[in-house]
Amino acid sequence: MFNFKAIIKILGFLLIVEGAFMLISMLVAILYSGPDVSPLLNSALITLGVGGLTVGAMFKAEKRISKNDGFIIVSLVWIVFSFFGSLPYLLSHSMPSLSDAFFETMSGFTTTGSSILNDIEALPHGILFWRSLTQWLGGMGIIVLSLAILPVFGIGGMQLFAAEVPGPVPDKLNPRIQQTAKNLWAIYVLFTLAEALLLWLGGMTFFDAINHSFTTMATGGYSTKQASIAYWDSPFIQYVIIFFMFIAGTNFTLSYSAFTGKFDKVYKNEEFKYYVLFIVIFTAIIFSGLLLTTQLGYEQAFRDTLFQVVSIITTTGYATADYLTWIPFLMVLIFTLFFFGGSAGSTGGGIKIMRIVLLLKNSYYELRRLLHPNAVIPVRFNKRSVSEQIITNVLAFFMIYLIIFFVSTIAFTLIEPDLNSSMGAVATCLGNIGPGLGKFGPAENFSQVPAIGKWFLSFLMLLGRLELFTVLVLFSPAFWKK
Amino acid sequence: MKIVIVGAGEVGTHLAKMLSREDHDIVLMDDDTEKLNKLSSQVDLLTITGYANSFKDLKDAGVSKSDLLIAVTPYEERNIMACVMAKDMGVGRTVARINNAEYLEEKYKEKLRNLGVDELIYPESLAGKEIASSVKQVGTRQLIEFSGGKLILMGIKIRENAPVLNKSFEELSYIESEIRAVAINRENHTIIPHGHDYVRAGDIIFFITTRNYMNKVFELTGKEIFPVRNIMILGGSRIAQKTVERLGDHYNIKIIESDKIRSQKIADRLENVLVINGDGRNLELLKEERIERMDAFIAVTGNSETNILSCHMAKKLGIKRTVAEVENIDFMGIAESMDIGSLINKKLIAASYIYKYTLGAQVAQAKCLTASEAEVFEFIASEGSKITQAPVKDLGFPEDATLGGVVRGQMAFVAKGETIIQADDKVVVFALPSAIRKLDKFFK
Repeated sequence: MFNFKAIIKILGFLLIVEGAFMLISMLVAILYSGPDVSPLLNSALITLGVGGLTVGAMFKAEKRISKNDGFIIVSLVWIVFSFFGSLPYLLSHSMPSLSDAFFETMSGFTTTGSSILNDIEALPHGILFWRSLTQWLGGMGIIVLSLAILPVFGIGGMQLFAAEVPGPVPDKLNPRIQQTAKNLWAIYVLFTLAEALLLWLGGMTFFDAINHSFTTMATGGYSTKQASIAYWDSPFIQYVIIFFMFIAGTNFTLSYSAFTGKFDKVYKNEEFKYYVLFIVIFTAIIFSGLLLTTQLGYEQAFRDTLFQVVSIITTTGYATADYLTWIPFLMVLIFTLFFFGGSAGSTGGGIKIMRIVLLLKNSYYELRRLLHPNAVIPVRFNKRSVSEQIITNVLAFFMIYLIIFFVSTIAFTLIEPDLNSSMGAVATCLGNIGPGLGKFGPAENFSQVPAIGKWFLSFLMLLGRLELFTVLVLFSPAFWKK
Repeated sequence: MKIVIVGAGEVGTHLAKMLSREDHDIVLMDDDTEKLNKLSSQVDLLTITGYANSFKDLKDAGVSKSDLLIAVTPYEERNIMACVMAKDMGVGRTVARINNAEYLEEKYKEKLRNLGVDELIYPESLAGKEIASSVKQVGTRQLIEFSGGKLILMGIKIRENAPVLNKSFEELSYIESEIRAVAINRENHTIIPHGHDYVRAGDIIFFITTRNYMNKVFELTGKEIFPVRNIMILGGSRIAQKTVERLGDHYNIKIIESDKIRSQKIADRLENVLVINGDGRNLELLKEERIERMDAFIAVTGNSETNILSCHMAKKLGIKRTVAEVENIDFMGIAESMDIGSLINKKLIAASYIYKYTLGAQVAQAKCLTASEAEVFEFIASEGSKITQAPVKDLGFPEDATLGGVVRGQMAFVAKGETIIQADDKVVVFALPSAIRKLDKFFK
């Protein structure tokens, strides 16, 4: 019933893609003539070799894949990518163990941005580039990239696309899935280049500019500096990054509409309005809080607030200020943002604005339904009524998200007894954000977590990136029954 | 090609699936979101929820940049309106599905064309035509004439009494080189046969030949030819009426219709037909009307199950020629294996008719073989095209396609290995969907 040959063949194809990107990182290493040329070359050769062999062995596999095959492919590809993606770290001895390297790679591909590194600047350029590149690839999605460049998926493509693109209902821009994927990637590349240029003009080195634009557009949050963005004490750089984090947290199909001149689609989009509204409200409250409780100047307080709010709501996870040093009220507000996430169809993680809005609307309408038991009150979004099925799906998503959060927090307290830190670590990994609370705040990292904890958190990142259902369905007995 | 299909009914859905597989960019529009959602997870296309006669929805569908608009909602007025509006927005060509034979008259067609409706599809009329031709030609499941009957395609069911049973196609070509088998329906699959394949009982084989050799085909397949005089039609649907119109006055036709008012209407409209008001599933009634004396039995009630069962019964009673209208595409495979004669599906017929508008200029005609995946094309070989440059056997023609025959001026002949195609020949080609794209390069 499962077409395992086709699954393995597609995974092989994707590994070849990954190997190619390792070669690009190797070119960077050569450019800086660092010690990481041969580790990167060897990783690329291993990845390309394994990919090539599996494709060769399974070349005659039947092309047709079912919906269920699609779930397996999408879940597996992220795991397989993370294993092979950790080769450069291991071969260059940048990281001490497989659990560290796997955590770092999974954190990269899922655009979480939690790191185990204590001294980022010590790593050679090629490895750093690969680290940022994993986020950039994971941001728009491995499958979406492959859909754009490889014609290997056949009709199953739409299912894979839907399984990987965030949000309850995926948007298609063109009749052809391949064209849609190409357009999305084109916009993504364009924004990345624009940001890199601006950061470079703002005073970053070209290498840092490229790396940071990779991780901004992916809402990843890896930096090439231990101090993250705070390293550059430049308001210009911070505002540029705020702007592009903001863009990365919007639905990319909106950017496409804007590029094709349909601006009304952007400002009439309800999710976009709420996204802006949430940012404004949280910024306003925290800004006033900071003014009252700290000695910061207006501009500094505003910039710090806006940067942290946008960084957390888009699940990027850069830091220019340590929100753990703020008063608890403000810190909890930031923690609330952990559960928001970017828009549907963005590169952000979390629950997504669209789901939050649908949940709030539905809950509010439930009150009105109580008052008018016979009234027909559909939940409207973008001026169309949303089907019951989608509402149920969103409710289930929210419920499962919370259950996973609570159960994982309880489980994680076995590893990390401090409740604050434990909650923060679970929420940040599940939401693909980066920094957590307590011992895992913006100024700290995850290197102290024992190996088992790292594997556990890596799994949570995967769950969060693929929006729960794709992965969880593999654990349901019904999935494997004939 | 960019194609907008309006109406995700069975015709629209079937077309969307078929065209999407052949690398056209499809936008499918319907007012039922659920229907669209189901389809968009199976087929690579863009779906838009909207109304056929809304300017805004048509604009959203990108009509202005499309090459073809196909309006196939169940409502004639909406379809025509959609075509008129889309033409105004700048679509290349428009096709509307209609339910009114009046529009097909040449003088009115012209008026509609001026409005912006380029082509008209009347599925019931097309089905009637198909039924009439299959009744006229007993012994075949499907009969398609090319170039005014110079070349003939015959789909024939092979039974145990056929002399060609268990012979290979290579042997067949020695027996009679003017007959060529071009496609086989076997156990719900369509095969393009090669020399080493064998004829098996239960196959439906599509032969191509010229008019003079038709009797030879019947002889080889063990079919006896009998004249058809008495025809019984079950159901007084529009298809039935169109069939009667097509058949003409040379037959004794009985129509059985269960609805009283409708019976009267049909009796009013069709003079030479005996209309009987009664339930066609009632065996007593059928026997009273001497069903066993009929030469042909056509079941075209709106209900596929009734049609299948009554044809099955008619076959049991010894009627040689039966035709059943089966509208559920899912039933086609089962019905095919039930031995109930020819099957007619008006949606498939309409779809294959519309299909030819999506093909290049080299294609003069395209048809879908009933209950089969293969399609027939009539290509015109252009000057200097690849097809004219070598004998057929050296062309490297795709495996899943085959050349049937050639019409050259007033002459027609069946294609053989050493045939060389000349410019301006009309070439009849059979292809599975996987090969259709590859054909273009041979004829350009």
